Amino acid sequence: MLPSEAKGRQAGRVLQVEDRDRALYSISAVGNMVGLPVATLRTWEDRYALVVPDRNPSGHRLYSRDQVEQLRFIKTRMALGLSAADAHRLLAEQLGDGLPTAQAGQARLLILLVEPDPYAAEYQEYFLKTEGFEVEMAFDEEAARRSFEEKSPSLAVIELLVSGGSGLSLCRYVKESSGVPVVAVSVLECRDQAIEAGADAFLLKPLDPLQFVSTARDLLGSSSFLHEPPRALA
Amino acid sequence: MNQRLASGHEPLDSVLGGGLPANAINLIMGRPGSGKTILAQQYVFRNATAQRPAIYFATVSEPLEKIVRFGQSLDFFDRTAIGTSVFYEDLGTRVSQHGLTGVTEQITTAIKERRPGLIVIDSFKALHAFADSHAEFRGFLHELSGRLGAFPVASLWVGEYEDAEIGSMPEFAVADAILDLTTARSGQRDLRFLEVRKLRGSGFRSGLHAYRLTADGMHLFPRLADAPIDEEYTQSDVRASSGIPALDDMLEDGYWPGASTLIAGPSGSGKTLLGLHFIFNGARQGEPGVIATLQENETQLERVAGGFGWSLNEPNIEVMYRSPVDIHIDEWAYELLQAVKRTGARRILIDSVTDIRMAAADPTRFREFCYSLMQRFARQGVSIVMTFEIPALFGAERLSDDAVSPLSDNVVMLSYLKDDGSIKRTISVIKTRASQHDPAIRQFLIGRDGIALA
Repeated sequence: MLPSEAKGRQAGRVLQVEDRDRALYSISAVGNMVGLPVATLRTWEDRYALVVPDRNPSGHRLYSRDQVEQLRFIKTRMALGLSAADAHRLLAEQLGDGLPTAQAGQARLLILLVEPDPYAAEYQEYFLKTEGFEVEMAFDEEAARRSFEEKSPSLAVIELLVSGGSGLSLCRYVKESSGVPVVAVSVLECRDQAIEAGADAFLLKPLDPLQFVSTARDLLGSSSFLHEPPRALA
Repeated sequence: MNQRLASGHEPLDSVLGGGLPANAINLIMGRPGSGKTILAQQYVFRNATAQRPAIYFATVSEPLEKIVRFGQSLDFFDRTAIGTSVFYEDLGTRVSQHGLTGVTEQITTAIKERRPGLIVIDSFKALHAFADSHAEFRGFLHELSGRLGAFPVASLWVGEYEDAEIGSMPEFAVADAILDLTTARSGQRDLRFLEVRKLRGSGFRSGLHAYRLTADGMHLFPRLADAPIDEEYTQSDVRASSGIPALDDMLEDGYWPGASTLIAGPSGSGKTLLGLHFIFNGARQGEPGVIATLQENETQLERVAGGFGWSLNEPNIEVMYRSPVDIHIDEWAYELLQAVKRTGARRILIDSVTDIRMAAADPTRFREFCYSLMQRFARQGVSIVMTFEIPALFGAERLSDDAVSPLSDNVVMLSYLKDDGSIKRTISVIKTRASQHDPAIRQFLIGRDGIALA
């Protein structure tokens, strides 16, 4: 994901939980979503036989959400200089380990959750994992810094009252040492301070699960399937 | 910043300063039959959505099936919502088998899987029986409130708590709001009242608010208790005639508009008739009037009026008859306020204020009620005449014990007088505000045209 992409996305979008491998998007919808001509999608399907949509009884193509993200992956890699054939080959390699598609891609998406309240942490971890993310927990600032250095997360969720109110400095630390997006959360209405400290989004607690998960997804980008950590991309 | 959980019943929400706090623990206490479960279900069906459903947990006080069965008789109960936006779950089996830990686990799982906007635990108090010690229950309470506080969910804890338990049971300290459904004995009947005992983060209307339970749920009548308002308002200089020229002269040209006048006198002395003079005089001058009667019904009153050449069917006349049996004074007041608003009334006859006093829970409540009502009408420039019965037929020494007369702008006294073996009626003006009244005691007769001063 490119940082500019993440910042351009609209926070707070409501995300419906759905089966990722259920075929539900028409080819024209997918063309609009991915930003590719319909003819290109048909050509790739025939030529590489990798992203092959289902067909309804009338013969119309129907793509799943996984497949949409696979197409976004291909497009992103092409934008970075790969040919269509190489991008398809890379995707095939990524999928080659036999894991279910969503897990195959999202196993790499690690979110660092810095939350001192064990009950809030339990819910947040559950909702993120339900969406297919990996979650690394930290209950204080020191553990958060250590995990951040060792685990290279793709996103950090930071409760601003962690370790007696060290959340803002932790936001600054994460932003200054990496391009990792940060979601600041707090029961205090301190959005402006959080944004000033480098947070990309602020959510008031208690966290609405849909808003929380969709904010994480927005900051990671909708094309987060098979996402690579920003520092690795750079 | 504080989100609110609406009940769908505007008077209740207004008492709560907009509604119960959302994302908070709200406790509903009350005796059996006070309507706790009805109120909880009212909130459930008002707020549940497919995205943020409501979960109703029944513990061991009342079987789940029974709650659902009786719930169906309520108008707001929506069968199609069950299983989509409203879920009823049995917590009794779990707590019986696994204790309070099982309760926390089941609720946590439900929060994760259903992501509810509202959780009801009915009865919460019954969970005390599953703790071996106070310490165990406090531990359970701490964990449960922590888990509920970490998720954007409002919870209603329902229980048959006694008043004394507020200070001894720890859930009252944890609760962000406490609604107390109580009853008060008045004569031979019980009146239902709701009282807000605690509401964090918001103002609320204190005191006892009467309510009724219907198929629509709770119908609340917020206590009419207006705080004094310093704000100035303008009054008309055109006085309102009493309908009796000679009495107008005694009053220095009638009543001031917006004034409250008490007509006091023994039974049969002509109080209602004096009030009817006032109403019909106004109506015939284009000033709509409301006759709020608790004495005679419309048929009886029509006969009385007809005897003096009036009819209740005349334009600008509205009769609001309510039986004094099982009356809630606040419910009655809101109906009167609505009638005045609907008709644009400038004059009101309340016949009699004695019935209102009998229906009031206590003298203090009666006094603040009268004050609030009089102030509201005074600010609107609506004149009120109230009849008030005095027990003594002859030589009454005092008007009342409960200060209606001090609150009234004017007091007109009707009396009986023994004279040469017959009883005669007299009228006198005891008190006027901002007028120089005639202090004379005048005899009067009641004839075909009503009251005529001798």
